[in-house]
Amino acid sequence: MRLRTIKYFFRESFTSLVRNRWMSLASVGAVASALIILGSFLLLSVNFDYILKDVESQVEITAYLEDSLDKNGISRLNNHLTAIIGVKEVNFISKKAAIEEFKEQVGKELLEGIDNPLPNSFRIKVNDPHEVAVVAEKVEKFAGIDEVKYGKGVVEKLFKIIHWVRLIGLAIMIVFAAVSVFIISNTIRLTVFARRREINIMKYIGATDWFVRWPFLIEGIVLGLIGSSIAIGVLGIAYNYLYITVKLNLPMISLVPKEQFYDYALGFLGIGMLIGAFGSSFSIKRFLNV
Amino acid sequence: MIELFGVTKMYPGGQVALKDINLRISKGEFVFIVGPSGAGKSTLVKLLFREELPTRGQIFFSGRNINRLRHREVPYLRRRIGIVFQDFRLLPEKTVYENISFAMEVIEASSREIRKRVPQVLDRVGLSHKVKAKPSELSGGEQQRVALARALVNNPDILIADEPTGNLDPDTSWDIMTQLDDINKRGTTVVVASHARELIDCMKKRVIQLEKGSLVRDEERGVYSNET
Ligand SMILES: Nc1ncnc2c1ncn2[C@@H]1O[C@H](COP(=O)(O)OP(=O)(O)O)[C@@H](O)[C@H]1O
Ligand SMILES: [Mg+2]
Repeated sequence: MRLRTIKYFFRESFTSLVRNRWMSLASVGAVASALIILGSFLLLSVNFDYILKDVESQVEITAYLEDSLDKNGISRLNNHLTAIIGVKEVNFISKKAAIEEFKEQVGKELLEGIDNPLPNSFRIKVNDPHEVAVVAEKVEKFAGIDEVKYGKGVVEKLFKIIHWVRLIGLAIMIVFAAVSVFIISNTIRLTVFARRREINIMKYIGATDWFVRWPFLIEGIVLGLIGSSIAIGVLGIAYNYLYITVKLNLPMISLVPKEQFYDYALGFLGIGMLIGAFGSSFSIKRFLNV
Repeated sequence: MIELFGVTKMYPGGQVALKDINLRISKGEFVFIVGPSGAGKSTLVKLLFREELPTRGQIFFSGRNINRLRHREVPYLRRRIGIVFQDFRLLPEKTVYENISFAMEVIEASSREIRKRVPQVLDRVGLSHKVKAKPSELSGGEQQRVALARALVNNPDILIADEPTGNLDPDTSWDIMTQLDDINKRGTTVVVASHARELIDCMKKRVIQLEKGSLVRDEERGVYSNET
């Protein structure tokens, strides 16, 4: 394609963008809102995940052993548990160690003169927090295990919440993306209408379909790109502010550093472009008839 | 150059605009298509540049059956045809120069070709002094000359004009006809749909007469109507 032709396409697109400035503004606004919503949910769920990983790395399984189990049995069981897929670490806590730990927590005096009621136990750490329940179930099946405990319910609940946050975010995003496509296609339709004379003349002079299409496609893509750039800017500033605020006021919570979101920003530009291209091809097909 | 075999055009709704037309136009000819309003002149013109497809029959352009052209081949057919309409169809916000260079941009000519060619055609239609004017600043005759220049700028094999003088006064009409004759003398085939009786009678060209969609007369050096 000639440079002159490319210049011509861009000149035409930008002329239209300015001519339909209110519709252009509405299109950009729609794309930006769609992506800001998508981005907010994305940031929320990624951070939720991140914080939860932190919490969960502390979630471990405690397997209480039957008193009848002797030293050999304990050592064999230790080997079996270590061999379970997904298990990271198995630590044996003897009756004695357990009571010492307990004494430290509640105070020595209280337990003076009482027989040690605590059993021997294993503390098991897992690789993937999602697998806590599965591993616990396997552990429970071994002979010599009396009872298995872990932060049952809490973990599952948190994961369920993340799951819903993602789904809702995605659903809202799809609705907004559809609205954006609709608004952009209307903007392009205005352009097609404003330029119908020209298009008609172009056609009988011998313009190819693609020559007629390009300016409209560029117009849509530019609208999408401007919208997504605004979304990236707004989200970036807001997240930076949130990050600093949390760091200062809630030092125990660490958010995902913003550098990790640079790839997402590129993805957003891509989505904006797609929304724009899709919106304009919609109009080109229906109203341009080429 | 152009051949029509048994061409019939029926519009959706059943209106028969052309009935079984057989016609042959050779390279270098000047042909008038005449007939009262509604006779089918515009329809015939539209068939030639494939704005419409015939309901029945075949149309050949330089030996190619244009019914069979694929959609993406149509632009390349049209690049060989210059078209002029009664209402000029210029772009009001572009200057005379831009209206013509636009036609070359559309077919992706180079800047150099455009700079060379546009002044040439403007000179040919005698509008070199109006390059920067907008169409609204021109008379009807001048606007039609811009349209002529635009139709010629890409060196078409054939120039087709649908009522080119329909909106013009007699003097200006005569000027446009002279221009068309001049274009034809330089080797371009010219087809003009018109019902400008006096002009046609003066020109002494081939006349094809349509009447309610049928070809009723085809005469070399004819006049508008042979009824007396
Ligand atoms: N797009 C169309 N749809 C339906 N009928 C049409 C259309 N264009 C032309 N016609 C009809 O076809 C006939 C021929 O029209 P036209 O070719 O425009 O004649 P002319 O140019 O000689 O005045 C007329 O009866 C007209 O009403
Ligand atoms: Mg007509």
